[in-house]
Formats: sequence, C-alpha cells, structure tokens
Amino acid sequence: MIIPVLTLIIMLIVGAVVLGFIAVSAMFLIWWERKVSAHIQTRYGPMRVGWHGALQSVADVIKLLLKENITPSGVDRLSWWLAPFFAVVPVVMVFVCIPFGNIFGIELIARDLNIGILYIMALTSICVLGIFMAGWGSNNKYSLLGGMRSAAQIVSYEIPLVLAMVTAVMFAGSLSMQKIVEAQKGLWFVFQPNMAIAFAIFIIAGTAEVNRTPFDIPEAESELVAGFHTEYSGMKFAMFFLGEYTNMFVISALAATLFLGGWSGPFLPPVIWFLIKTYGLVTFMMWIRWTLPRVRVDQLMGFAWKVLTPVSFANLIVAGWILMK
Amino acid sequence: MDDTSLKEDIGTEEFWVNMGPQHPSTHGVLRLELKLSGETVVDGIVHIGYLHRSMEKIAENRTYTQFIPFTDRLDYLASMNNNLAYVLAVEKLMGIEVSDRAKYIRVIMAELGRIASHLFGITTFVQDLGAFATPLFYGMREREKIVELFDDVCGQRLTYNYMRVGGVSRDLPNGADGKIKGIIKYLRPKFDDLEALFNSNPIFTARTRGVGVLTASKAVNYGVTGPNLRASGVKWDLRKDEPYLCYDKFTFDIPVGNNGDAWDRYKVRMDEMRQSLRIAEQAVLGLPEGDPTVKAGRIFRPEPGETYMRSENPRGELGFYIVSDGSPIPFRMKIRSPSFSNIAVLPDLIRGLKIADAVCVLGSLDVVMGEIDR
Amino acid sequence: MIKYFTCIISGIWNLAKGLFVTLKNVFVKPVTLQYPTQKLEMTQRYRGLVDLYPEKCIKCGQCVKICPTACLDLSVKAGEGADKKKEFGHFKYNMELCCFCGLCEQVCPTQAIYMNKIYEIAVYEHGKLHIDLLDKDKYDEWANPDVK
Repeated sequence: MIIPVLTLIIMLIVGAVVLGFIAVSAMFLIWWERKVSAHIQTRYGPMRVGWHGALQSVADVIKLLLKENITPSGVDRLSWWLAPFFAVVPVVMVFVCIPFGNIFGIELIARDLNIGILYIMALTSICVLGIFMAGWGSNNKYSLLGGMRSAAQIVSYEIPLVLAMVTAVMFAGSLSMQKIVEAQKGLWFVFQPNMAIAFAIFIIAGTAEVNRTPFDIPEAESELVAGFHTEYSGMKFAMFFLGEYTNMFVISALAATLFLGGWSGPFLPPVIWFLIKTYGLVTFMMWIRWTLPRVRVDQLMGFAWKVLTPVSFANLIVAGWILMK
Repeated sequence: MDDTSLKEDIGTEEFWVNMGPQHPSTHGVLRLELKLSGETVVDGIVHIGYLHRSMEKIAENRTYTQFIPFTDRLDYLASMNNNLAYVLAVEKLMGIEVSDRAKYIRVIMAELGRIASHLFGITTFVQDLGAFATPLFYGMREREKIVELFDDVCGQRLTYNYMRVGGVSRDLPNGADGKIKGIIKYLRPKFDDLEALFNSNPIFTARTRGVGVLTASKAVNYGVTGPNLRASGVKWDLRKDEPYLCYDKFTFDIPVGNNGDAWDRYKVRMDEMRQSLRIAEQAVLGLPEGDPTVKAGRIFRPEPGETYMRSENPRGELGFYIVSDGSPIPFRMKIRSPSFSNIAVLPDLIRGLKIADAVCVLGSLDVVMGEIDR
Repeated sequence: MIKYFTCIISGIWNLAKGLFVTLKNVFVKPVTLQYPTQKLEMTQRYRGLVDLYPEKCIKCGQCVKICPTACLDLSVKAGEGADKKKEFGHFKYNMELCCFCGLCEQVCPTQAIYMNKIYEIAVYEHGKLHIDLLDKDKYDEWANPDVK
C-alpha cells in the first residue's frame, strides 16, 4: 500500500517540477526573444517591469489570465476548445525523456525510455494537429488558410527531420536519449562531417517544425493576419504561445542532445552545459527569425523536397557506409 | 446519395477573402477583396476611399498659401516633395522666378525627402515579405537622421510646410550644410548594409524575382509612373526629361530595371537613393548665397487661366492642375497623384499569384493611401 | 549537380552575410529613448502649441486671416483711453482644429504670436483644447505634466 502512494507522490512532484520548469522557461524565452529582437533592432526592449523588464512576461501572463475568454460565433466548438491543449500537451509530454543531466548522481530524466527518440518524433508531430484544429475550428478564412498551410508544411518537414535524427541514432546505436548522450562522451557528433550536415538539416527542419521565420507560414503575420490563432485571445492564446516557445525549447534540446553531446561537457555541471547548449540554439533560432524574410508556401515545399530530403537521404546512406566500413 | 451530389459535397470552391482595411500589410486603409482558390488569387478588387478628406474641395476654399499645409497630408511620407510640386504649380501659374539659393535648398530637401520615403518604402516592403521589423527599424533609424534635419530646418518631423510660393519659408539654420554633408556620409555605408541584408539573400530573391511582372506597355497604358515605371524598363524621369528647378545642373543617372518584377522595383528604389545622395551632395557643395525666404502673408492673385505642373515625387509624377479665376482662391484644383495610378495596376498583377505574392506585389508598388484617397 | 551544390553553398553564404549585419547591430548602442524619463530635446524651430505675447500684439489680425483651419478667433474693441488704442476683446485658440503649420508665427509682423516647444498635448477632455491665449498660465499643465 505504501509503495504505490509513494510512487504517486514522487510522480506528482516530478510532474510539478517539469511543469514549473516549462512555464518559467517559456516566460524566460519570451522575455529573451523580446530582448534579442530589440537589440538586433538597436532598441532596448522591455525595460520597465523588473530589472531590464525581466518580469514583463509575468505581467503579460497575468494580463492574459485575466482577459475575457471570447468564443466567436460559428466556431466548431470541439476543435476550437481542444486545439490549444493539442498545441501544449504533446510538447509537455516530450519532457518525459529529455535528459537534463544529473545532480549529485541523480539523473534528471523522468524516464529514460528505450524508444525515446521514437516517442519524441511521434509526439512532436501531434502539435500540428492542434494548429490544424485551430485553423479549422475558428470559422475564419485566414485561420483556415493557416491551418492548411501548417498541414502541408509538416508533411514535407517531418521526413528530413526524422532522417537527420536517424543519422544520430545510427551513430549512437540506441534509441534511448541517455545512451545517445553517452555515445558522445568522447567527441560530439556535430564534429563529424556528415553529422554536421545532419545537424544543419535538423536545425532547418526544426525551425519549420516550430513554425518560426523563415518558415512561419501558418502564422504569416503580413499575409494571414495571425494565421491559425487569429481568433484566439486570452488564456487560449497564451496556451498557443506557451506551446510555441516550449516547442522551440524542445527542438533545441533535441538538437543539443543528438548532436552537441547533450549534458556532457568539461568543468561545468551537466545541467548547466545542457541549458547553455539548448538556450544557445534557441538564441540562434531567434537570430534567424529576426533577420530573414519568410519563404512562400510552395517554395518551402520545393526546398523541403528538392534539397532537404535528398540531401538527408544521401547523408544517411553515407553514414551507413561509414558505419559498415 | 448519388454520385453527383457526393461530388458537390466534397468538391472545391473558390472563396472571397476580405483583406483590409484592417490588415497588417495593406499600408494604411486599402481594402482588397481577393477571390481565392486555395492559396491562389483568382481575382482581386481594390477598394479605395477610406482616407478621403476632400483635399481638392478644400483647395477651393483656401488661398494659395493656405493650401500648402494640406499638401503635407497627401503623401505623408514625402511631404517635402508634395510641398514642392504644389508651389511649383502655383509659381508656374503666377510666372514667379525663384532665387538660386531657394532652388538649391529645394533640391536638397526634395532629394533627402526622396531618400526618406524610399527607405520607408523598401523596408516596409521587406516587412511584408516577412522579415519581421528588423529592416524596418534599420530604415527608420536611417530615416531619423533626415527627419531630424527637417525638424531643424522647418520645425516639424512629418508635416513640414516648408516650401513657399516664390521660395522657402526659412533659410537653412547655421551649420545645416555641414549637417547635410554628415548625413550623406552617414547614409552611404548604411545603404551597403541594407543591400547586404537583401540583395543576395536567397529567400528575398526567390520571393521577388519574377513576381508581379509589369510590362513596359502595360505600365505606360495604366499611367504608372516613378520607380515602378522605371523598373519596367522605361527611362522616364521628369528630373531629366522635363527639368524643373535646377536639376539640369547636376549629374546623376536614372536607374532602370529590365523585367519589371518586384525585385526590379526594389532595386530601382535602392539605386535611386544613391543617386539622390549624389544630387544632394552636389547641391550642398554648390549652395549659392542669397535670401531664399519670402513673406508668408503675401496674397497671390493669378491672372484668370489654368496650368498643369508635374514633378517627380518618390512615388511617381505628382501633378497639380489649377484653374484660377483671378481671385486669391483657386477656382478648381485637381491633384494627379502617382499612387492612384500605381494601385490601379494591382488587380492585373496579382491574378494567378499566391496570397504571399499578392502581398509582395502590393508592397513593391509602395503606395500611400493618403495620396490615393486625397 | 555541381550547380545544385554551388547554389546551396552560395545561398548559405549569403544568408550568413545577412546574419552578420544583424549581429553587428546587436553591439550598437540602442538609438531609442526611454520616453517618460528621457525626453527628446525639441529643436530651435520646433512648432508646438500656439502662444502669444499679449504686450507685443498689435491686433492686426493677420494670423487669424492666414490660418488655414480657422482655429484662431480674435475680437478687438476700441480702447477707452484717449488715444483709442485697440484692446483685446478675446483671443481664442482652438487646438482641435490647429494643424501646426506655423503660418501664424511667420506672418506676425511683431513676433507676438509664436509656437512654443510643448509636444505632449494629449488631454482627456475636449474643453481643454479650447484655449484662451490671453490667459497667462494656460500651458502650465502641459509644460509640467508631473505637476498636478
């Protein structure tokens, strides 16, 4: 009797810690993005709430929580209500097997699934369902176009993304996240030539996966107003926002784990290494976002099918040949 | 359920999307009705008039001097050039000759105004392509230097009201010519930076090359003027072909495009800014002495008659057609605004393109609603 | 095939050039001002609100005549003194209509009417925009927004 209760309590604590981390991380990333964009544009960005506006996101979250929950007329209620959850829940579930490193010998990973990568790949593609449902359910033509675009986008980008992941899996010889990190103890994967290509493909496809410029076509502010979340406001909008930024964190964490050696690194504790790598990649994605224009939807597909997919296939074959040798 | 009704049930259908007047990329209050088939634009209808202020009727109730502040509000991104076009028209009607210094000051102001306007035009165009705000902020930062100079010279940052019939309202303040030289020196490398951001950027080129091709004959038939016309390969610039002020004294080139696509329209504007810098530099070096100012209170009573004067605005030919009946108030005024003709070509250009390209074409035409609706 | 790869490589290189431009700007000092604490200095010729030196005014009415939006309203009465010098009836300024063109300032023969440097001119009531130019402390509230 005691043991199941104890397990339950531990599970609840771990869940609370993970959720707390996600919320704080998303709020930090929103502030960080505003700061990065501001400094790229030679502005200051938020400066009023807290030190250099550090509490700005907290204020924004409070505002969003207090906002009226508007449901436009004519929405498809089920998909309208479920869409924000579909955008957030899979991303949160991914955190089950992201290895954060270890503190005092305790491994900071909720559960090191032996099919970790497969699990993550399956979950990250569910997010797009949320976007599609939002686009369909909103009863707005712009949202619908955004939803359609995201469906088209995900079809083309899942393949190079998965192929790039598979390259890393082949080198590590395991689907478990911890094993992949341990395989990189000596040399990070990214320092091998064909893994570097896989890394580049992963970052590009990952940017498309999380719908950020230059691949933010489902949102496409200048074309579709706000794309799939045009009609959303208040807490539901905040959920999409949370989903987007957490997704960005997840993709960066994956890239760091698969190619940059995860939490392994000299001198500093593993957790710090992991966070440095992840947030570094997130910052890189922000830097790209605030520099480049958006590609058109058919160009995006052309790029995915004509460049990314063949290159990643060729890369995979070369990787296999190297391993067989 | 038989086969035909099933087909109807799952068949595709074209739908209308109302884009604007509240839309992030319609440059003010333009309203576009787009007929879409999926992502493709089948047809587009342009609705204008949301910013109509009866400028031409207002002109019939104001003296010639009193109407100058209203011209600021036509093309609010190039107020200086509007002022100039209007006072040139009144001067032609009156037969007034302007002092040399006033001419040079006007040229400097007009060219700097052109740069400010093109900076805005290019960077908002890139913003429409999805480069989120960063180029826009760079453009605004560079434009700020020019706006600050205008603020120094005439006391406002947007509605300058600087030109007067017969001269300018005030002489340049002390040290202004040094400041102008400083601005010219500051802007040159900044243009290089902007070009590094766009010119060879594969995404930018892919988005703009071959998009919205405006052929030379179509451009001429629609009355498209300014950079949009020159991008189509027609070498027509009033500063060269019908020189007003003292443009014939300066050496400058007229950039011309080849294909008339969005890329050419961007490139022509970019090159034109450099040429404007050249003109401004020559003008500030050769600035003659004298008194350019005129009394504000003078009442003009032109002979009964009519005149039409056009000048090269950043967006094209701005023409003022004034009919006088001998009183201090114009009997009738017609404003030929370049954006009005330029926007007319839009439905033709966007047919068959994607929505993203329609936005790109609209941005590349660089229209200002204040001028279209007057 | 070679073209395919050179295209990719040059594309990446050109994207990197653009990224470098934005990176360069990260290290430039921000050009914006922190508005309520830092304020832009208005230039010498800045055209703010219309203001008046009543003692300089000769009541000629040229400013009223030239105003494009008819926002000035001057009434003059004959003075009671022996020289019948003109005196102000009233001199009203309707800021709702004013377009800040500065023509009144330029037309004034004695520089009595001028434009001050106040630019924070948002108010909550229409009534506050109808200003009596003869009132000495009409702009105190605007000039020092912090003083209540």
